[in-house]
Amino acid sequence: MKEQLKAIGEQADRALEKVQSLSELDQLRVSFLGKKGPLTALLKQMGSLPPEERPTMGQLANQMRQHIEEHIEARLAVLKALEIKKTFEAESVDVTLPGVKLPKGNLHPLNQVLDDMIDIFQSMGFDVVDGPEIETEYYNFEALNIPADHPARDMQDTFYVGDHLVLRSQTSAAQIRTMETRKPPIRVICPGRVFRADEVDATHSPVFHQIEGLVVDKGITMCDLKGCLEQVAREIYGPDAKIKFRPSFFPFTEPSVEVDVSCPECGGHGDSCRICKGTGWIEILGAGMVHPRVLAGCGIDPEEYTGFAFGIGLDRLTTTRYKISDIRLLFENDLRFLTQFDR
Amino acid sequence: MKVSLQWLRYYMDIPVSVKELCDRMTLAGFEVEEVIDLSAGMRNVVAGRIVKLEKHPDADKLQICQVDVGAGEPVQIVTGASNVFEGAMVPTALHDSHLPNGVHIKRGKLRGVESNGMLCSGEELCLKEEDYPGAGVHGILILKDDVPAGEDMCKVLHMDDTVIDFAVTANRPDCQSVLGLAREAAVVLGVPCKIPAPVYQTKGGSVHELIHVDVQDYDLCSRYMGRCVTNLRIKESPDWMKRCLKAAGMRPINNIVDITNFVMLETGQPMHAFDRRDIAGDQIIVRRARNGEKLTTLDEKEHVLNDSMLVIADRDKPSCLAGIMGSMNSEIKPDTTELFLESARFRRDNVRRTARALGIRTESSARFEKGIDVFRCEYAMERALQLIYDLDAGDIVDGVIDCNNGLPEQRVLSVTAQSINDLLGVEIPHDVMVNTLNALSIETDLQNGILTCRIPTFREDIEGRADLAEEVMRIYGYDHVQGRPMRGEIVRGKLLPQRIMDNSLKQLLCANGMYEISTYSFFGSKTTAMLDLPETDERLQTITIRNPLGDEYSTMRTQLVTSMLTVLATNISRKNPDSRYFEISRLYKAKSLPLTEQPEERPALCLGLYGKLENFFTLKGVVEDVMAHFGASVTYEKSAEPYYHPGRQARALLNGQSVAVFGEVHPTVAERFGIGQKVYVAEIDLPALYAIHRDQIVFHPLPKFPAVNRDIALVCDRSLPVARLEQAIHSVKSKLIQSVKLFDVYEGNQIEADKKSVAYSIGLQSDSHTLTDDECNAVMDSIFEALRAVGANLRT
Repeated sequence: MKEQLKAIGEQADRALEKVQSLSELDQLRVSFLGKKGPLTALLKQMGSLPPEERPTMGQLANQMRQHIEEHIEARLAVLKALEIKKTFEAESVDVTLPGVKLPKGNLHPLNQVLDDMIDIFQSMGFDVVDGPEIETEYYNFEALNIPADHPARDMQDTFYVGDHLVLRSQTSAAQIRTMETRKPPIRVICPGRVFRADEVDATHSPVFHQIEGLVVDKGITMCDLKGCLEQVAREIYGPDAKIKFRPSFFPFTEPSVEVDVSCPECGGHGDSCRICKGTGWIEILGAGMVHPRVLAGCGIDPEEYTGFAFGIGLDRLTTTRYKISDIRLLFENDLRFLTQFDR
Repeated sequence: MKVSLQWLRYYMDIPVSVKELCDRMTLAGFEVEEVIDLSAGMRNVVAGRIVKLEKHPDADKLQICQVDVGAGEPVQIVTGASNVFEGAMVPTALHDSHLPNGVHIKRGKLRGVESNGMLCSGEELCLKEEDYPGAGVHGILILKDDVPAGEDMCKVLHMDDTVIDFAVTANRPDCQSVLGLAREAAVVLGVPCKIPAPVYQTKGGSVHELIHVDVQDYDLCSRYMGRCVTNLRIKESPDWMKRCLKAAGMRPINNIVDITNFVMLETGQPMHAFDRRDIAGDQIIVRRARNGEKLTTLDEKEHVLNDSMLVIADRDKPSCLAGIMGSMNSEIKPDTTELFLESARFRRDNVRRTARALGIRTESSARFEKGIDVFRCEYAMERALQLIYDLDAGDIVDGVIDCNNGLPEQRVLSVTAQSINDLLGVEIPHDVMVNTLNALSIETDLQNGILTCRIPTFREDIEGRADLAEEVMRIYGYDHVQGRPMRGEIVRGKLLPQRIMDNSLKQLLCANGMYEISTYSFFGSKTTAMLDLPETDERLQTITIRNPLGDEYSTMRTQLVTSMLTVLATNISRKNPDSRYFEISRLYKAKSLPLTEQPEERPALCLGLYGKLENFFTLKGVVEDVMAHFGASVTYEKSAEPYYHPGRQARALLNGQSVAVFGEVHPTVAERFGIGQKVYVAEIDLPALYAIHRDQIVFHPLPKFPAVNRDIALVCDRSLPVARLEQAIHSVKSKLIQSVKLFDVYEGNQIEADKKSVAYSIGLQSDSHTLTDDECNAVMDSIFEALRAVGANLRT
């Protein structure tokens, strides 16, 4: 009987070696360990053995069953690994094929840059306000110290839509509305669309955008103006950006300055830099101390309060940031243009 | 303002390089736009005298010249010109020289004979007859005999100069003049400026016996001065004056005309010289033109005038557009013997408007437009008379005509020095302020910390502390301003609610695959009419620009559809891939027309899409998303806009008000924009949506008991909108109905011709127990009953 057991074991080992699939393995399990299998048959013959041999034989038979089961399990693990390998092989893909994307859009580049600017100014405590695009002459000119005989009042530069109504030629008009409705300390920006009678070409558009800034408080000086703009320049152009004032003229500020920033392209070191034309500086905005007459006109005592204002050209900021060669592209809305500003 | 360096040197020393002068002037507020080297690159070209002339041994047309160029041995040059002769003084381009036309001359051999340069024609030196006598002749330019041999041709031709073009800001009309800029440059460089003090002698007589002046419109002409000069001796101007005029780009004509031009450039005051013979009745009348009055200007153009324009007239006729241009034949002629010289102040906006209206722009009008101070005409007159005297151009008659309606007194400003520093945030020493202001011709004393400043008449722009602060600072240097970080409470700036809502709306739209566009706020006057709107439609009540750049930019928009269609058309015609766009912009709604008050500027959203995968429902999906975004529960119904497909357009109603209209664009309308395929547009009114305050989001507990889904298929008339079925289902007031989802609509063979099948999945759920069949059936029975009432039956 011992021999028989041994034979079954050897038989099972040989069969297992040949098994190539999970179903064959299942069959093999049934044929060796099932009710009709040789091991069961052998155990049924146990009654014919002398009683003293039975425990030993029983133990041996169980050891053999365990042995076969272990081998089946081992074989199962091997076969499963083979099976899954085959599946993986069948399922493998060309990973260089493009991914499946959901359609998406993006903001217009002007508004992306505007959002960045708003974020910078918000972080510096500036509220963001708004104003009408069709303005009265009072808000667009008079209150900004632009008298009736000033060249800017001419029909040639400003669009008129009524006797005393114009398309605002600067967001500065919003300065006045702000100062009329708020008490100092004032810290606001007013981004918006402005209009001037410029013929359309690569650098001019009758419709463009400005960001007006205004700060009014006790003791505000030109040093505060410079400090504020330095911070803005660093936010836009990086920690090494420097700014420089050049005297200029705007009717609503006195003193007035043009503000240059150190060339973000060459840092002032490139004689042949095409961004700054070798000067090391690029002009970014106009600014100044709010004209005392403008303050007084809004009911703010210029002896008690001073302030500064600045106006940034959003379109130019956008074209220089992205090196856009022609401002008309901003308003043409060609998909091949718009999709370049995905971020 | 263009200024020649040589001219500037008449008034001041310039101890620095051109570059440094430019840099320092820029930092003082006079930006340099251009630096022009008048030599135009001409180098190593000198005057040379031909001392010997021989025929070339091997060429009939060539001659060999020995040229004395003022140094050492004569230079041998071969020339092909025939007009040269021994003793002629000629422009000689030496070996390794550059001509203004860009040619580089080198030593060479002509038919075997060495030639060490080239003799030049006027043309080769880019000269015209008016630049140098003989320059227009074919052949070598023969120079005046008194030119010394070896003299640099740049000097001979007055090309040894540099012209700097300064940008002058609008507050400094006094610097539209060489003297004004010289005054500034002298302060910037810290050198004295020698302002000419006119001195001359008169020859008796009285101007009042020769001319009578009557200013009728002092509001347009606040000062009018006149002098007379007799026995004119009209001739060429001296070289120094001619070179000044040429450097400024003006052509010398004769001494009288040149003096008026020179004085205009020098002082900024335009002057006019009348031939006294042409002044009918010896009367000068400064008056508004009569409507319809005609005047033919010097440039032979006839202008029809009106009573907003100022003229200088005589007894019979207008003879001059004040400050702009004289009439034909009133100018100084070679045989003019008596001169009436005008120096006046005309109102700047009036000159500007008249010049623009008539399409004339002159050196004179440009200066009057910027503004002339009331005392400048006096100085300019004196200076002109001095030059007439110095150049012996005529006899100056005694007496001055000076019509004015009162001259302003000198203004005196008092400010504390400390208040200037307080505004600048810079501690400028008080004595530096005093010295700077004095240098700028602002006579200033300092006592007890108070600056007392006497403002010169040519500085009308200086009104108070801020102006004085700027004067001091721009000379002291803005690099002294040290940036000070922002101070105050640490707060984050606030956005207006509308901007916050727009920002999140834009995110939603981008996530829907849409690109934001930006288009002009105005379009053509006929654009809105392309939408076939009925005459009464308020969108045709447009605000028009009175002075547009052209019709295509003339009308403020009342709708965004046409702008969107233009963008769609651009992209379709360029074969760009299927795509989606949106724009948020303002519509301009006049309260009345013509416009008398500010209109409503109403923000609106426009969507536009095209492509194979797009249809009415892809568009509606985005519209629904927008409505859901604002928490607006809207109902949809058919709309009837003429520019949409009549069967594929709808509007969304919020509390009975239309907040959106959308649909497939009518093919005829699309065609007008050059679009030959289906495109879809939606217009959404934003203020109505902004106005909805979405309740704060409150969490609902997750369901504890299972949901039951019942799918039902219904049959109804094909024309019955599914919205009616949904209304019917929702009319069953049961808390158990959690969801109603349409999952199929079928029209076709399997069903009667005028019927359709609509299938819904109804979700039932209770938050207190698991539903029984009986409970579900009861709800479903109520639903079926409600559906039957609107004509929908269970499909069997």
